[in-house]
Amino acid sequence: MTDAPDTMNRRQLIRHSAWFGAAVGLAVAGGEVISHVAGTADAARIQGRPTLRFAQVSDSHIGFLGKANPNVAGSFNQAIDRINNLSYTPDFVIHTGDLTHLATPGQFDQVKQMMTGLHTPHVFTVPGEHDSIDDGGQKYRSAFGAGTRGDGWYSFDIAGVHVIALVNTLNLKKLGHLGVDQLEFVAKDVAALPSDTPIIVFSHIPLFAMYPDWGWGTDDAAQALSYLRRFSSVTCLNGHVHQVFCKTEGNVTFHSGTTTAYPLPHPGDGPAPKPVTLPAGKLHDALGIREVSYTRGQSTLALKEKALQ
Amino acid sequence: MNVTRLAMAVALAVSGVSHAYLYIHGYQHIPTIGTAFVVQAGVSFALALLILIGGPSWLQWAAAALAGGALGAFVLSRTVGLFGFSEQGWQPSPHAAISVVAELVVVGLWAVYVIGHRRARAPQS
Repeated sequence: MTDAPDTMNRRQLIRHSAWFGAAVGLAVAGGEVISHVAGTADAARIQGRPTLRFAQVSDSHIGFLGKANPNVAGSFNQAIDRINNLSYTPDFVIHTGDLTHLATPGQFDQVKQMMTGLHTPHVFTVPGEHDSIDDGGQKYRSAFGAGTRGDGWYSFDIAGVHVIALVNTLNLKKLGHLGVDQLEFVAKDVAALPSDTPIIVFSHIPLFAMYPDWGWGTDDAAQALSYLRRFSSVTCLNGHVHQVFCKTEGNVTFHSGTTTAYPLPHPGDGPAPKPVTLPAGKLHDALGIREVSYTRGQSTLALKEKALQ
Repeated sequence: MNVTRLAMAVALAVSGVSHAYLYIHGYQHIPTIGTAFVVQAGVSFALALLILIGGPSWLQWAAAALAGGALGAFVLSRTVGLFGFSEQGWQPSPHAAISVVAELVVVGLWAVYVIGHRRARAPQS
């Protein structure tokens, strides 16, 4: 019997195996070098402190009663513990809305009381649509609106970063809405800032069109973002969609955060964004908090997602 | 040296450099995408080097698969999203465009190689 021309003999097999091994070895070595360079670059940047470090929680839905999570207060407490057990004290904690499920005074009292357990100098919030169900956000502002402007929006500066907290859950039709007064506020708020000031924007509903069919977008966000185009680094953090999602548009990076209450389906997965009941033991993998850090000289924020498990 | 090999190695290296640059400058912090970028860059460099020094032909198939995969991931990230990540158009500029062009070159050179190889093996009439 003779070998067909395409049949590999033993010597060829060994040679090809050697090439394959070389390919794998070089790829691993190349990846290691790149990771090392990235780590060194990060370390060099970290030496240039001061650094801003904060945590984001979202969509605690205190008062929710349903199969998807029968104990939302318990999981929110776990989220608080997760933040309190970080290896550092965050400069602040931001709750990006839907603190309560039905915006009752009792639910606002409960969530406010729970958040006093956070080990951080400052707690900031923005309202979700669940926090302004029947009163245009009045009860929310009574509980959390001290020091805010208009219908609850505000801004502040910390560690060289300018932070803007927006309210896009009032006057909802289908999409989130900022409104003329708030757009004017944004325009004036950033007018005097140098273009190299890092900007962080908080809102409940995404400021990008994540899935407009489900209302996951803000109809007049483009106007607000146009005031931020000249800045070299703009990071928008939101809640509402109960899942991690990231998108970049030019100088702006959008990060949707997960929830501490219950997951929602992925965009377009089903007819509507209804709470998803996960198999036993899986819920806490889908819930979580987010750590965010900024180091001077860095063009992007570093985000780390942490599950509640 | 075979010009096709040299051009493919250069295009692979360009794609790898582009992905490595983005990884170092922020993409490392994007879940899953960051890992995919460093893997793409590492494998690109390895294949570029081995193709350059005259490795076997399956390396060019692997390079085409890698470049095709990267192009597919690019399209997904601009349409339905990829692992919860999406971007618009040619952002980040100019790296997105550089990568896409380099990967198209790799796939194109692979096609040239395959066609040339088949013609060479075809029985002469």
